[in-house]
Amino acid sequence: MSGPGEGGSAGVLLIDDDPAIRALLRQTLSHAGYGVSEAGSAAQALAERAARAPDLALLDLGLPDRDGLEILPQLVAAGVAVVVLSARDATAEKVAALDLGASDYVTKPFDPEEILARVRTALRHRARLAGGPGGQAVLRFADVEIDLAARQVRKGGAEVHLAPKEYAFLAELAGNPGRVVTHAQLLRTIWGPGHETDVEYLRVAARGIRRKLESDRPPGQSALRNEPGIGYRLDLTRG
Amino acid sequence: MTLAHAHSIAPAPGADQGGGLAAGLLAMVALVGLATLLGLTLLARGDLADIGLLYLVPVMFAAIRLGLRPGLAAGALSSLSYNYFFIPPRFTLAVADPSHLITLVILLGVALVGSQMAARLRQQAMLAQAQAGRDALLAGFAGRLMGVTRRDALWAMLAQEVARLFGVRVLVAVPDAQGVVELVTARPAQDRLDLLEAAAAQWCLDSGRSAGPGGQVPTASEWLFMPVPGTQGPLAVVGVGNPDADLPLHGAQAPLLESLLAQAGLALARITLEEEKLALGRVQERERLRSALLSSIGHDLRTPLTTVLGTLRALRPLSPAQTVALASARSEAERLDRFVANLIEMVRLEIGAVQREPEAVDLAEACDAALDHLAPAVSAAGVERAVPEDLPLVLADPRLLHHCLINLIDNAARHGGGRGIRVEAGADAQGGVELAVCDRGPGVPAGEEERIFGMFTRLEGSDRQGGTGLGLAIVKGFAEAMGLRVTAANRPDGGARFALHVPPALIRPVVVPA
Repeated sequence: MSGPGEGGSAGVLLIDDDPAIRALLRQTLSHAGYGVSEAGSAAQALAERAARAPDLALLDLGLPDRDGLEILPQLVAAGVAVVVLSARDATAEKVAALDLGASDYVTKPFDPEEILARVRTALRHRARLAGGPGGQAVLRFADVEIDLAARQVRKGGAEVHLAPKEYAFLAELAGNPGRVVTHAQLLRTIWGPGHETDVEYLRVAARGIRRKLESDRPPGQSALRNEPGIGYRLDLTRG
Repeated sequence: MTLAHAHSIAPAPGADQGGGLAAGLLAMVALVGLATLLGLTLLARGDLADIGLLYLVPVMFAAIRLGLRPGLAAGALSSLSYNYFFIPPRFTLAVADPSHLITLVILLGVALVGSQMAARLRQQAMLAQAQAGRDALLAGFAGRLMGVTRRDALWAMLAQEVARLFGVRVLVAVPDAQGVVELVTARPAQDRLDLLEAAAAQWCLDSGRSAGPGGQVPTASEWLFMPVPGTQGPLAVVGVGNPDADLPLHGAQAPLLESLLAQAGLALARITLEEEKLALGRVQERERLRSALLSSIGHDLRTPLTTVLGTLRALRPLSPAQTVALASARSEAERLDRFVANLIEMVRLEIGAVQREPEAVDLAEACDAALDHLAPAVSAAGVERAVPEDLPLVLADPRLLHHCLINLIDNAARHGGGRGIRVEAGADAQGGVELAVCDRGPGVPAGEEERIFGMFTRLEGSDRQGGTGLGLAIVKGFAEAMGLRVTAANRPDGGARFALHVPPALIRPVVVPA
């Protein structure tokens, strides 16, 4: 999936204070065809952003001069898709980054394949936000089709009736395929402001969706994946 | 010089003044003689009554300077002289005119009253002098106490000062952990308290009252023990002894020693506070070191590990031998990563820095996330997943629960003999929900069900391999931080079963959103 040339002309800015990690990421990304630039500090990152206008930034939050969360909004405002590099135990930090407009996150230590997958997803998301091609009217995983235009969900060709909130939940994830959407974002969009902490609504809706669409799947193979403490992700590679 | 001599607190104030008294008496006799000579020269012109007044001078002098008895003696001597030399018939002690008797009586009366007044004044002056001396002494003692920062130094100084000021032998004893008196210092030196001393000291310590000769309670010991007062009862006892006297302390010495001991008590309270402050500082320093360790592990250990693991994952093997080598390197690096994660979490638990943000959690989703995380490691063993879809939601911190499950599953994968892992959930016997991870390994040795959750526990006599014993300790720490219970047991058909128990209070009924 990560053959040379997939990146096209997209530019990626690596922001991490560790040169070894930057070298590894540069290797992975340039091999996949991305144009790579590097920054070892927040100040350098902002300078590189201005000089090269990258499409995406891989941002480590522990920078020597400033907290990565401080420069994240500036990058997002400049139209850069941001994928955050963060430690496994930094759940709150990840949620904060996503709430500040980060497109996604990758947990350290990362798998280069996972980095590429997240970068691809984030770039597609950015293209959709810009109104370009990439928005799909019909999304497919396994034998399930989500027809966003017709507001229909089909399994094996037959329409499946989802409850309104279940559909809204699935549609929200389908609108961000492969990308994590935080619990609070989902709850705000679907149930409205004031429901950001009613996580149990999501649990119940997710169960309903799985029961109706994935009852024939082996246990543990749901495409509707929960990231503990963070949010949900529709994993189209599952199936 | 001892206090006894310096400040008139000793029982015989006149002892040193013997020479002064003799000189005074001599002066008094001389004054009487002078008054007589003066009288004789005045005799021609004056009348007798005026001459009688001359004798008031030696009488007042003796009464004021020398005290009552010398004053009376001066009065008597003056009367006799006046009578002998001046009152007719002169040069006899006979008195012809009764009016002259009055003059004699007045002279004696002046001596009596004057000496009593003077004696009172002298006494007050002496008391004031003694008080000033005590104040100066207490102030000096307090000043020296200020410089003392350790208990043993305090006791040594107290013993030295008491011995010096009162001219006595001194014992200082403190209660040990069981409250039994224990000698800490003595002047002159001695190793331990004998039976009588120990009994008296113990009584003094327990009752807070002075014990021994001259004390509130007499004892068989010749030492007088006095308590060093503290807010929670005596902090120590000080014994004083004087083999050359019938009582170790006399008169005002006992209250003075009491004042000194009260000051020593205050000094000890200050030293205790300082020690506590110092201990607190050490605790803070330890916390600071732990935090530094935490961030050091977090950054300095994880950053290179990220590069190593990322590189290993990016490498593509060129031969079957490389495939095996790479897989082994990857799995070991992943194990190291889990170990580092566990180490960080253990430090967090130790310093109480574990954050909890409970939310409604679907245990099925939590299991899937943990299995996903461990996918390469557990896929070899194969995982059977038996988590019902209709399990109630539970209130738990998702991050901590995730870490617990990863550790339990990882533990099962490593100790399970490479055979099937089973993750199962359901109602437990306490009306709550349990989530269990089962393996087909050697199981938990009988009686070790608690100990297996201890830090760095690697059970002896079992063939459970690898691991550091941190994983299960973290499971227990995190589970308890979330209000869950964790148990270890053996499966009836072989293997271990580790279960997280969610109490009924943390079960959330499934509500249907509008």
